[in-house]
Amino acid sequence: MKRNKITAMLLAVAMTASLLTGCGSKAASSGAGESTSADGVTSENITLTYWHYEDETTVGLLAEAFMKKYPNIKVECKQIADMSTDLSAAAAAGTFPDVFSGTDSDTALANMYWADITEYVENDPDMDNMMVSIKNYGIGKFDTDRWWGLPTWYQPSAVFIDRNVIKKLNLEMPRTDWTWDEMIQLIKDATVDDRSGMKYYGLGFYNRLDSLYGIAACATAERAIKGEFGFDGNDFDLSYWAIGEQEFGDLQTGGYVAPKQDTQAMEDWSGDWGTWFGATGHVAVFSEGFWSYQNLWGTDGYQEQYGLDIVPYVTPNVVDEKDHNIIANMYIGGVSTSCKHPYEAYLLLKFMGIGTDGWKARLDIYENEENTNASGVALKHANMPVPMTLDEEVWTRYKAMFPTDEDHKQYWDDYFASITRPVPYGWYSIAGYWNFCDQYFNKIGIHDLVDAGTAKAADYAAEATEQANYYHAEAMISYFGPNGYDVLSEEDLAKYQAVVDSFGQ
Amino acid sequence: MAEKLRRKKKKSLQEREDRMGYLFVLPWIIGVLLFVLIPLGQSFYYMWFNIRITPLETKFIPVGTGNFTQIWLENPEFPQQLVTYIWQTIVEVPIIVVFALLIAMMLNGKIKAKGFFRLIFFLPVIIVSGPVMNMLVSEGASNIPAMNTQVVINAMDTFLPYSVARSIGDLFGNMIMILWYSGVQILIFLSALQKVDPSLYEAAKMDGGSGWECFWKITLPTIKNFILLNAVYTVIFMSGNEQNSLIVMIKNAMFSGTKEKGYGYASAMAWMYAIVVTLIVLLFFLLLGSKKDVYDRIAAKRRRALKKEERNLEKVRRRNARNVRRLEKARKSSRYKTYDGHGDY
Repeated sequence: MKRNKITAMLLAVAMTASLLTGCGSKAASSGAGESTSADGVTSENITLTYWHYEDETTVGLLAEAFMKKYPNIKVECKQIADMSTDLSAAAAAGTFPDVFSGTDSDTALANMYWADITEYVENDPDMDNMMVSIKNYGIGKFDTDRWWGLPTWYQPSAVFIDRNVIKKLNLEMPRTDWTWDEMIQLIKDATVDDRSGMKYYGLGFYNRLDSLYGIAACATAERAIKGEFGFDGNDFDLSYWAIGEQEFGDLQTGGYVAPKQDTQAMEDWSGDWGTWFGATGHVAVFSEGFWSYQNLWGTDGYQEQYGLDIVPYVTPNVVDEKDHNIIANMYIGGVSTSCKHPYEAYLLLKFMGIGTDGWKARLDIYENEENTNASGVALKHANMPVPMTLDEEVWTRYKAMFPTDEDHKQYWDDYFASITRPVPYGWYSIAGYWNFCDQYFNKIGIHDLVDAGTAKAADYAAEATEQANYYHAEAMISYFGPNGYDVLSEEDLAKYQAVVDSFGQ
Repeated sequence: MAEKLRRKKKKSLQEREDRMGYLFVLPWIIGVLLFVLIPLGQSFYYMWFNIRITPLETKFIPVGTGNFTQIWLENPEFPQQLVTYIWQTIVEVPIIVVFALLIAMMLNGKIKAKGFFRLIFFLPVIIVSGPVMNMLVSEGASNIPAMNTQVVINAMDTFLPYSVARSIGDLFGNMIMILWYSGVQILIFLSALQKVDPSLYEAAKMDGGSGWECFWKITLPTIKNFILLNAVYTVIFMSGNEQNSLIVMIKNAMFSGTKEKGYGYASAMAWMYAIVVTLIVLLFFLLLGSKKDVYDRIAAKRRRALKKEERNLEKVRRRNARNVRRLEKARKSSRYKTYDGHGDY
């Protein structure tokens, strides 16, 4: 009887304990006490947490390089699965990372995840050696006079041409500093259906052309576009986007665009549902992510297998301006407001992303092809980013990882020279942009309507511009006004409030 | 003294047993308190606020009924999903319960490798849960590829509202899922079927009752309460699992970084959803729980008739007694003479 009772009690206690397992939260790690060395870095043993979207192995090796440089700083890394879920759960549990790099800036700003790092950025000599658009446009300032984040990962949009297709169709390769109209003309010329075999398409796309056109739509003198949808730092003008959207829609309805993977159209064309147009040898121009080259076309034997000869081209501008902006994927990272060691966290942020030292460490990792990730892929073929520093040594080493033979070198040199003015997609760098897309733009289904030829993009431009400006103004007040970071001047507040008040009138 | 001691000993034994009982239910009490009542109260409080969780603090901005108006006026997906969910539940729950009953009856019969088949049907409950289930569903494992559900939907769309047609079409598409959802219900029905007194069947068989008649007149009335239990269980399971798009929507809203959403918005959504789920449970309770079977009704009618008869008899008995008392009184006061059998009356 007694034994039964003891067993019962133990069972009850065990059940209660197991019930409560997992309720505990890991305390945020940080060192105690402060003493700093001559360069301003703490000499205490501290731990910093870094959350990111990159390849885990690459970041792990980078963290090791950072810890080698700063032996008293331990770095713990974690790959983010879903930014808002992971971060809001961490904020609620008190386990927020010290530094994180994200893809959706609205989430970070709405919840005041990022601390003000203006003091560090503006006093950092390394920042003078960055691509000009980063500092000139304040990518990470979100149109305030403070720095909240810095780009951590950059890959430009890219246009690629298959030289073999151009040759087969007896066309001329365009000049490398081509214009928008020259690209459209090539797409049209390279679409050939002689009914004797598989049709040649002028364009295969991952990035829609309207995304590229949004910032390439006019001369800088006409409008200094520094963001998607004709955003110039103050307001949007979607009439520029509408031209690109319509042009792209017309190309699709005109039959110039190759079918997408996993569609009936693809099966009808290539005979295989799962074919990717980039592996058919029947598409001339590609609007792709930069990763398509690194992860596929650039891997050993891929182009030979499919009979391709891929070269990169600058994303063209409407006017024949040599230096122009290009749209890019740029993760923005920041130091969290709860971080106990903001300066050390800033150094980590810079090392992992934009900094020259960090890039040298990255190149050590990428150059060694024995460094592979969990899937066995060499790290340079696992979404390797593009340097944001202009450091000559970094670029020399970086370029050496791409084709250097006489036949291709010039294309790559011209391409790399043309990507030094990146402008991130809106959700990285414009306050309210994500909300605008989520709550308005994506819901009207404009892409599908125009692609199907059932609507004209221009008809939506005025309303979409008003909506975009409203969401931006509302977000600026919310994020940077008195209920947020409270860094807007009275004048700015009044300006944004006027936009909000005039909305819908 | 000895009596007092015995009572005291008995009392302390009772107390000890009570304590053991409480100890056994302690995990449940703690679980309910921590994971049901406190979160319930919290979410009720949260739904009146816009909540922003920063790394440094949690900001509560009162919005009154703002979350509700936001959901109904600016989130068209929520009402759409709610309607789909209601139809889907009302259509699928009876099918799952009937399916589970059929399988349970088969597994309760005299078949070879009974234990193995029982394991097979219960296996999905153990292994196909949470992320595994999500993975399988995303890989299309819940569909029967050869079945073109769109044809079913199109056919029914001609005479049924689209949402109803869609729900029924989805049912065909998710046939495997329904099978997976039936494991626990099969187990409950099995235990219920094993509780039915075999002598009832024997008696029925001796009276010439067929298997069909035994099912309707013995099995079904006996396990009636378990049908309600299984229906309620199925509603709750379907309403709270990870494949439910409303649960996904609430979870996404909860962890959404956009300033309008977050914990307050998600709480408002969850409360509205919980009310709808409660109403559906009530609906099934009214359909399955309130009605008595034919035997209960006959027995109740007979009981009422007997009571009425008893009341009438009692009334007659009382009246007789009253009359006897009156006669006796009159006789005593010599107002009446009792005829003694002599002479003229």
